[in-house]
Amino acid sequence: MRDIELTLNGVRTQVSCAPGDSLLTVLRRLGCVSVRYGSETGETGAAAVLVDGRLLAADVLLAAQVDGHEVTTVEALDVATGELHPIQAAFVESGALQSGYSAGAMVLATKALVERTPDPTEWQIRDAFSGILDRETGYVKVVDAVKRAAALLRGEKPEPMAPVLVEPLGDGPGGPPPDAPSAMPRLVPSPDVPPTTVVGQSPPKVDAVKLVKGRPAFVDDVVPRGMLYAKVLRSPHAHARIVAIDDSEATALPGVHAVLHTFNTPRVKYASGGQSWPNPHPWDQVSFDDKVRHVGDRVAAVAAESLDLAEEACRRIRVTYEVLPAVFDELEAIAPGAPVIHDETDTEGIHDAQRNISHHIGGQTVPDERLDAAFAAAEHVFEQTFRVQQQQQCPIEPHITIGWLDSDERLVLRTSTQVPFHVRRMVAPLLGLPVKRIRVVKPRIGGGFGGKQEMLLEDVVGHLVLATRRPVRLELTREEEFVSSRIRHAQTLTFRTAVDGEGRLLAQDLRVVGNTGPYATHGFTVQSVTGQRGLSEYNSPAKRYTADVAYTNRPVAGAFRGYGAPQALFALESHMDDIARGLGLDPIELRRRNWVRTGDPLDILPQLGERGATEIAPEDMPRVTSCATDECVAQARRAIGWERRTDPAWRQPPDRPHVRRGIGFALCMQATAIPNLDMGGCSLKMNDDGSFNLLVGATDLGTGADTVLAQIAAEVLGVQVDDVLVYAADTDLTPFDVGAYADSTTYISGMAVKKAAEQVRERIALRAARLLGLEDAGEVVLRAGHAWSRDGRSVSLGEVALNALHVEDQEQIMATASHVSAESPPPFAAQFAEVEVDTEAGQVTVGRLVMAVDCGVAINPTTASGQVEGAMVQALGYALTEELVLDEAGRAVNARFGPYWIFRPDDTPPMEVYLVQTMEASGPFGAKSVGEIAIDGVAPAVRNAILDATGVAVNELPLTPERVWRALHPQPAG
Amino acid sequence: MVTVSEYWRPASLEEARELLARPGAVALAGGSRLGGSRAVPPVELVDLQALGLAEIEDRAGAELRIGAMATLQQVVDCDAAPEVVREAARREEPSTLRAQATVGGCVATGDAESELLATLLVHEAVVHLGDGSAPDEIPLEELLAGLPLAPGRLVTAVTLRVGGRTAAVRTARTPADRPIVAAVVRADDGVRRLALTGVAPTPVLVQPGDPVDPVGDFRGSAEYRRALAEVLVARALEAIA
Repeated sequence: MRDIELTLNGVRTQVSCAPGDSLLTVLRRLGCVSVRYGSETGETGAAAVLVDGRLLAADVLLAAQVDGHEVTTVEALDVATGELHPIQAAFVESGALQSGYSAGAMVLATKALVERTPDPTEWQIRDAFSGILDRETGYVKVVDAVKRAAALLRGEKPEPMAPVLVEPLGDGPGGPPPDAPSAMPRLVPSPDVPPTTVVGQSPPKVDAVKLVKGRPAFVDDVVPRGMLYAKVLRSPHAHARIVAIDDSEATALPGVHAVLHTFNTPRVKYASGGQSWPNPHPWDQVSFDDKVRHVGDRVAAVAAESLDLAEEACRRIRVTYEVLPAVFDELEAIAPGAPVIHDETDTEGIHDAQRNISHHIGGQTVPDERLDAAFAAAEHVFEQTFRVQQQQQCPIEPHITIGWLDSDERLVLRTSTQVPFHVRRMVAPLLGLPVKRIRVVKPRIGGGFGGKQEMLLEDVVGHLVLATRRPVRLELTREEEFVSSRIRHAQTLTFRTAVDGEGRLLAQDLRVVGNTGPYATHGFTVQSVTGQRGLSEYNSPAKRYTADVAYTNRPVAGAFRGYGAPQALFALESHMDDIARGLGLDPIELRRRNWVRTGDPLDILPQLGERGATEIAPEDMPRVTSCATDECVAQARRAIGWERRTDPAWRQPPDRPHVRRGIGFALCMQATAIPNLDMGGCSLKMNDDGSFNLLVGATDLGTGADTVLAQIAAEVLGVQVDDVLVYAADTDLTPFDVGAYADSTTYISGMAVKKAAEQVRERIALRAARLLGLEDAGEVVLRAGHAWSRDGRSVSLGEVALNALHVEDQEQIMATASHVSAESPPPFAAQFAEVEVDTEAGQVTVGRLVMAVDCGVAINPTTASGQVEGAMVQALGYALTEELVLDEAGRAVNARFGPYWIFRPDDTPPMEVYLVQTMEASGPFGAKSVGEIAIDGVAPAVRNAILDATGVAVNELPLTPERVWRALHPQPAG
Repeated sequence: MVTVSEYWRPASLEEARELLARPGAVALAGGSRLGGSRAVPPVELVDLQALGLAEIEDRAGAELRIGAMATLQQVVDCDAAPEVVREAARREEPSTLRAQATVGGCVATGDAESELLATLLVHEAVVHLGDGSAPDEIPLEELLAGLPLAPGRLVTAVTLRVGGRTAAVRTARTPADRPIVAAVVRADDGVRRLALTGVAPTPVLVQPGDPVDPVGDFRGSAEYRRALAEVLVARALEAIA
């Protein structure tokens, strides 16, 4: 240990540290929790701080290096309760924070930039922020926040953040598209939407202040006394049997408190996907199995006094493996002779273990004979095969769980999860505890994107807490996040389509082989959704879907934003473009002749339900209930300048002969919640001053869900958002909610909130009527924090609350409600991408992205457009760079941010978002979902833009320079 | 983080050299590459920040002497530096790491994908070694070919010739990604130097038409890198023609 002295936030500070301690570790030890872990290689910027005024990454700085220097963290700006620095105010106003995990770094980056450059250009901002990766916002609103902050600091008053209203285009061409900052969503209003006060506005996020101040809010920010550090020993082999484990050297290390593995823990089978009870079979996992099935699989877990010690203990565990042959490709895995990945005898429900097929999924709208006849009789038949890769969710906050036994000896798990209630139910049997002995708490979460719809660390932490009776912390490293958490399913998809002479679809046949890795956690449901999404966008009298879900020795696939749809829509929307080319039709026109509109049946859905095919009566056929596809296409088409496709001078810039330009289109459609299954609960309680506690099980991951739910309550109750105090997701205190997935939160949990608020409104109205001397409580209207009579008299909600709690007929005004929907109204969207292709080198540069989304009524246009922007950038990575690549032995070669490459602020093309309103009758205030749809269209739109530019079709993602080059320059055979 | 057993911050070059001669001693420049794998056995780090090596000196507009501890951001901000060098320094790392990483560290680690090294090569960079041996100046291309540095050796500065017509072209997955292959060319008084990244273990000087023998990886096979080298060399030469 050595003593160093630094000036920390203006205070001379002495601290003792080991020579290898990172500045990140030491700052967190000193209580600066705004400095957060994103990786150990400096790229995320979550740990960025100012050292002598320069923004540096504290995760790759040694604390010893700053001995004698001045270090500033965002805590330095937190000088007064309720006050924000202008930079912080700008970030709140712009909606630039989603999870806010890296908020401290962003505020500091802004401070450093504007002190040097008071009026920075967009490029200077993007360059200054190139060291801060944001997986959530798409950077659009971050750039806006910095511009806004700079203006505030120059003493100017920037434009308030508000949607830009755009006239519907209908069938007309309209004038030029609106010219406004890209951070402001373009809102196309619908006359069907009634006026509202709080809904449809963009108040500051309810969690914005704590995030922008960097206050303790995330799992790792609050540490129980006496905590141990856990580390998991990972498999170096892609497939091996564990013959023996000698843990004697590890357990002998002083300070090591537990070493758990297959030979000293019970064998309880489970499936880790966070889904409703009963979790789909097969239950093919065990906390510590006697076999490893991918590089990075669990072997053993250690709890020790420090992380270094836990790591040292892992190195001292001697494992004897019997190495087995491995298979990584989904097609090879299901071919004869492939190594059998699940040869154990105690896993029930594997479709065909000998062939590595966990599930076989089939669904069709007509019998085979009718489908075959349609193909046989069709004027044109098109068939194509597409391959898509494993993309990692890459939340900047990795998975982390801290667990302890509370004073009642109940197990508390404070965890970064999307599914706290599923986790509690699922972890209980693994630990041998009844559900009632477990409490799961979800604090702020630094992004999830589906990767946290999983019970991934909680069983390990639970086992270690029970073994040691000490608090235990387990956090994944970035490399573990890549290889040992969850990842998007790779798939091979073959589309066959029958078309008539006018381009009308006659039959669609989609066959998929999905790669679930060695465990089938979400294998059935993701591959079911691939079929739902692949066969719902277009009307077709005959549809068939067949899928095999293949076990392989790749990292484990799970849930990821879009959930099977990005794969399906890459294939479908690429295929549709190629059909249009084949028929000589405009690609939009071909689709227009076929896309579903309001009233059209979604006839594949009952065949591919979450719980298998169901027989339904014709009147129960799910149908499109609201749809603005035509308007979305018209708006986005005008915004991208689609007609430039026919301008030779634009397509081929005269000064750069090797460049070709093109524009691509993709239609998108998602779902909104799983019908008859997803349920959200809410309880709402009135306080003495007329404010309300809103308790929900819904899980805000940075999505803005807490804010949206508060807006819904505030709208019903006639108050402002800051009168609604949201507390979310604690299994002891809040009602049940399935959690954040399947695009359900706004639609399902939001409706539960609306119902509870309506019940509370009714109680308030009754009491207010009495106070106002009214006969009819139905006359009372809640507005501006008061209950009003028709003749203009009012009583404040505070007076109503005091009366209820203290004066007469005392009662707690409160209500609990829950919601489940028989419908799943799809959002629709039009995605356009403009590209430049270097035809000699294969490089593709995306020049611009435009998306117009029909998400019903956007409850909060700022957060809704932020969801779209962030998803588009994630989708751009899916299109161009992101793929976890394995070597022949199954080891990942790019499990870190540099080589893997997620888009940076200085990398991301300009984007525009249109929100095209529809009034969805089944949703709260007309809302449908918006969180996932925007990840669906970028990859096919970019692929189609390359096709438009060069005439070359690339049917495998990502569209890397080499892949495009090979397509442009086919090598002679042999 | 690497496993660190000792941290030293010498106050003089002599002291630094003595420390660097210790077994397991490694020079610590900015430290931007400390992250990632844990080195076993542990290393002793010799932090060079107190040696006063961070100056950039403009020598009559003909040469630029960049101290080894000058950060990449200092190069970006240096008006006297050639434009392609400034741009390559900017591209080398994202903002945070750029304010930490140093020119000396970049030279001493010899990253195959470094566009900055390629631009230094075409600017006839000479590396100054602070080990007191003779010669203590060697051309960058020789230093790169002989990496890693011998124990006790230490980069103190890099001098480049400025002036001439230059061009830099590249192919990458995205605008900010490190290039798969990049070509940099400079022509000055009849001297033409051409450097490539991504085709050898370090950036290399080549002549047009020289065969290259790259090792492929997931971003580009050997065959593709060869094809890129040909395309990009032609494009760079055309740009300065």
